[in-house]
Amino acid sequence: MIELSAITKTYAKSAVKAVDSLSLTIKNGEIFGFLGPNGAGKTTTIKVVTGVLKADCGAVRIDGVDLAAAPLDAKRRIGYVSDNPELFARLKAAEYLNFVADVYGVGSVERQERIARYTALFGIKDVLSASIGSFSHGMKQKLLISASLVHDPDNWLLDEPMVGLDPKSAFSLKEIMRERAAAGKTVFFSTHVMEVAEKLCDRLAIINKGAIVFNGTLAELRTSQGVDDSLEKLFLELVDDSEEATA
Amino acid sequence: MRVFLSLTALYLKSFYNLPGKRAPGAKTTPKDVFKALGIGLLALFVVGQMGALFIATNMAMYEALAPAGLQGLVLLNMAVLATVLTLAVGFLTALSTYFLNDMELQFLSMPIKPKALLGAKFAAVYVAEAVVSIFFIASAVIIFGIKEAPHPLMYLWGILAGMLLPMPALALSYLIQIPLMGIARFLKNKQTILFIGGILGLAMALGFNLYFQSTLSRLGDPAWLARHVAGPDSLLAKLGSAYPPALFTWRALSDPASPQALTSMALMALMCMAGPALVVFFLSDAYAKSLVGFNESQIKKLGAAGANAFIQAKLRRGPVFLSLVKREINLMNREPVYLLNGPFLIVLGPIIIGILMIAQKDAFLSDPDLAGVLALLRNGGGAILAGLAGAFLGSGTSISCTALSRDAKALPFLKSLPLSAGRFMLAKLAHGLVFALFGSIMGAGLSGYALRLSASDMAAALIVAIGLSFLLNLGGLWLDTANPRIKWDNPMAALKQNPNSVIAILGAMGIAGASGYAAFALGLSTWVFAFWFGILPLLAFALLLFPYPRYAAKRIAALEA
Repeated sequence: MIELSAITKTYAKSAVKAVDSLSLTIKNGEIFGFLGPNGAGKTTTIKVVTGVLKADCGAVRIDGVDLAAAPLDAKRRIGYVSDNPELFARLKAAEYLNFVADVYGVGSVERQERIARYTALFGIKDVLSASIGSFSHGMKQKLLISASLVHDPDNWLLDEPMVGLDPKSAFSLKEIMRERAAAGKTVFFSTHVMEVAEKLCDRLAIINKGAIVFNGTLAELRTSQGVDDSLEKLFLELVDDSEEATA
Repeated sequence: MRVFLSLTALYLKSFYNLPGKRAPGAKTTPKDVFKALGIGLLALFVVGQMGALFIATNMAMYEALAPAGLQGLVLLNMAVLATVLTLAVGFLTALSTYFLNDMELQFLSMPIKPKALLGAKFAAVYVAEAVVSIFFIASAVIIFGIKEAPHPLMYLWGILAGMLLPMPALALSYLIQIPLMGIARFLKNKQTILFIGGILGLAMALGFNLYFQSTLSRLGDPAWLARHVAGPDSLLAKLGSAYPPALFTWRALSDPASPQALTSMALMALMCMAGPALVVFFLSDAYAKSLVGFNESQIKKLGAAGANAFIQAKLRRGPVFLSLVKREINLMNREPVYLLNGPFLIVLGPIIIGILMIAQKDAFLSDPDLAGVLALLRNGGGAILAGLAGAFLGSGTSISCTALSRDAKALPFLKSLPLSAGRFMLAKLAHGLVFALFGSIMGAGLSGYALRLSASDMAAALIVAIGLSFLLNLGGLWLDTANPRIKWDNPMAALKQNPNSVIAILGAMGIAGASGYAAFALGLSTWVFAFWFGILPLLAFALLLFPYPRYAAKRIAALEA
């Protein structure tokens, strides 16, 4: 379970709050979609949850563990797919996976089994001995996703995970998300692809200009907006409304 | 023409990392002033070093040739060397900038004529060539001018020659490289090029070093002078007559006010400008074609059984700290820019000193000014020299002082891992210390062997080398933790253009020099020196190491990469 209470974050070189008093709870067994226009604060929020950025105030709890008080314990419960797969071009794919598995303390048998499974699923098992620098954007993304699952985390956070994935891999990713949620684990991901969010998410939140403008199920969103439209239309209306309100 | 000029400006900014226009109303901060001052001092240092070498060579040559009335040969030597020097520098610059990045592929999709593409790149590379050439020619012309008081036109011809001589050299570089890139597929990879360029650059730098050192030491030998410089069958005369631009430059500068000087300069200008014109005219299409498919990745794939066997064999649990150190070593040693400008110094340093020793050995041994130093070295001073040489090699690798900057792109990912920042940074220090130890052993060991040190003196030298290099590595890591270079587009910027590496290298030089001076001035015995400059630095290292992880954790938490 991931709990965010009144998180606020302002970057050092900016006067504007990137995230403003944001509170969310993502329950176990839930696929939670995090939507918002560019620059709304999605990545900042995910970075705060994963400990990459320090919030100015507020608290993050992962499975009840306070991230500020016990950061290493909290981080061990997270698997994170960042929005930028450009990592360690000089390492070989296997070296990168081994490094991540070592950091999370995964045993030899478990890591071999999980890496074989996920890399096969994403079609990169045959390039494990190759240098990451020779990979395409999509292959790097698949490697990052495989690495984020090597320790079988209870909380899986993905920032724009569909970018660069081919249709088969995108399908596999969605299947893994469903499988993990069914196993009682948490899946929290940001996306711009409304169709994916519409079909996949149990609940979703829409963020704009650092503040949550909606948090609930798709049905609740339709009820609150009073129309039975697609998520795409509802999203655009909601974001436009919040833009007008702040103008 | 506008496209050509825009492209040239863009290449110039990219090649030489020139700053863009300041935003209106932007204020100059103390950091900007400090940075500008630092860069200015560094430029002065580099230019001063090169200038001193060029001036010393030309001066020595003038003084050796003047008694026989052959001082004019200094100008021929200048023209030949300016050509060779610019050919070497030009070849390497043209190679390293042949394919800048994927922006080049973007250009291919734009309505840009291949002639503008190659012409702009030629022009941008040429700027650096011209600066090197003018600088070198100025060092000879000014000496000649002071000694001979020639007609002022010589200075004008000198500047013109400096601007013109690099043109055919650079044209020749492209004449070799363009067809080569067209046929050799393995070369069409930026990393391969950087590696080959780095090795070639080192070889050329060592070659020039050997040339200047051996020329300087042998100019007093008339037989050598006749064979290599002054005689009609000398190497210099043959090179000069085989290469007309050098010969015309020599003629024009030897008698600058004569009508023949004007004719020589005109012919030389014509010949020099023909090079780039012909290359751009005939090779532009081939150049544009050779850019297609650059940096295409070829991935080695495993079969199904091979992949399973690979996973079983390679993916095994290991200690986290060792995994972190291995990652550091792999990331540094597999990046050509990092390897050649970092750990490779441990190999390169002894080679340079070895060349200097071989080329100048006789001069050192016979120089009366160095007699006192030699006596000091024979009476215990050898251990001091060996210790300081080891300390410099162990601390000059730029590993620790750029450790955080090099990892800037991965910081968000690393911060998301269940790893304490202190532990992660200590792995970086361990990486630096492994090479510090290796450098110390190489530097102190080789110097000790050359100086025939006793076992006791060798031990003292090693203690000094390890003590100082460990302390300097930790100092470098503190520096980079306090002020890392977080934003960069090219790995080169994290190391070569990182002020921390400059401060660390100059600091190591300064500390080694000051320690040596103090040891000789105070007449310290070997083991007293080992105590003050080996044991005490090790204690300081231990003291500074204690608070470092906490500081690193605090500092990294505050970084918003």
